Amino acid sequence: MDLYHLGPVDWVESQSIYHALALLNREGLIICYPTTPYVCLGLHDDLEYEIDQFYCRNVRIPLLRRETGGGVVYLDSRQIFFQLVIRQNNPLLPLRRQNFYEKFLEPAISLYRKLGLAAELKFPADIVGGGKKYSGNGSGDIGRCTAYVGNILLDFDFVTMSRVLKVPDEDYRRNLYRAMRANILTLADCLPCPVEYSLLAEGLLAGFTKQLGNLFPRSVDDELRATAKQVGRRLTSREWLEMPGRKSALRKVKITEGLYLQAQERAVQNCPAVLVREGVAEAMTADL
Amino acid sequence: MQGEKNKEWNIPRGLLFDSSDCWLKITEETVVGLTDYGQSNIGDIIYLDFVPAGTVVRRGDRCGSIESGKWVGSLLAPISGIIVETNSEAKADPHKVNTDPFGDGWLYRMEPADRKEITHLMNLDAYKAWIQERISGKAKDAEIL
Repeated sequence: MDLYHLGPVDWVESQSIYHALALLNREGLIICYPTTPYVCLGLHDDLEYEIDQFYCRNVRIPLLRRETGGGVVYLDSRQIFFQLVIRQNNPLLPLRRQNFYEKFLEPAISLYRKLGLAAELKFPADIVGGGKKYSGNGSGDIGRCTAYVGNILLDFDFVTMSRVLKVPDEDYRRNLYRAMRANILTLADCLPCPVEYSLLAEGLLAGFTKQLGNLFPRSVDDELRATAKQVGRRLTSREWLEMPGRKSALRKVKITEGLYLQAQERAVQNCPAVLVREGVAEAMTADL
Repeated sequence: MQGEKNKEWNIPRGLLFDSSDCWLKITEETVVGLTDYGQSNIGDIIYLDFVPAGTVVRRGDRCGSIESGKWVGSLLAPISGIIVETNSEAKADPHKVNTDPFGDGWLYRMEPADRKEITHLMNLDAYKAWIQERISGKAKDAEIL
């Protein structure tokens, strides 16, 4: 398997290179992180419904829509991305695409464990520990390949994440912030001191070598760079961003697998939103 | 995947199939859906989208997309033609494709452009063999993992 250990990359390239590999029908594993922040929509997210575009424009956070699943994410240099592109005819890829997460996320799960943290897969694609989420991940068929994308949160800007999403009112936003803070864990939350990028990348590479066999380091060649540039323009174009997507009648934000913050038609006990865990509504409390 | 080996998939007679697990009911117009085996591989479908009715597609063109859990993929046209109607009820409730893939969960109707393309499709026996080939191939590969 080809390895593109890219380290810091431009924000568009942090998405466009794996799309380009897939469109070129080339397999590869990419490890990288974006040098500047951006907001990334899932293929079927609705821009108008999901994003506070006024805020994003004001604070100059650019937008991109990827061709993989999952919801809106705020991404920045404090997250390490691991992205695997495999051909659809590769026998490693199960017919039921979701089943591959177990293999794809094993290197990250092992890495968390090596750092002394309890971590396990929550089907289909979350890594969790102690009932909280370490990371959410996504995949999608792109051309004749399938791309799996995941990340490790060294730290996370919960405030900005809660600001970039369009929400009914500030009460909802406050609850959103609290729900994320209470249910998502970063390495900074769990470890006494920061972990170097290189150590995390090495840990991931060791895990992926076990899964995929030898990894052959490659640099981004002209063909890949040119295709990535073209794809990057498309993924950030106004027309592509404004493609209509899923909406629900009442604002609903996914916090973790099976956990949603759902706006209520009429505020109950002065609370405009309710947390729905595995289909069951929970009371919102200040300490969440 | 091992458990799939002996599983009986619902594959009605009188339909044709393609290698992307689409079924086609061909009369004057053609109704297209996803097979029971196809929907089972995709898993719980949470979002479905189609190109607008009236779109002209070539065989293999993207004519919609589908999302389950944390995966998205494209719906590819099994034959060339014009998409004349998409199933708005399935779009509103994509789970219908899981629960009734040959009935209420149909995807779209199209007007075929070239009847000769039908020769690329599989009949029931060929499709059953295609499923078995994939299951046994993948089951073997799953053991390597």
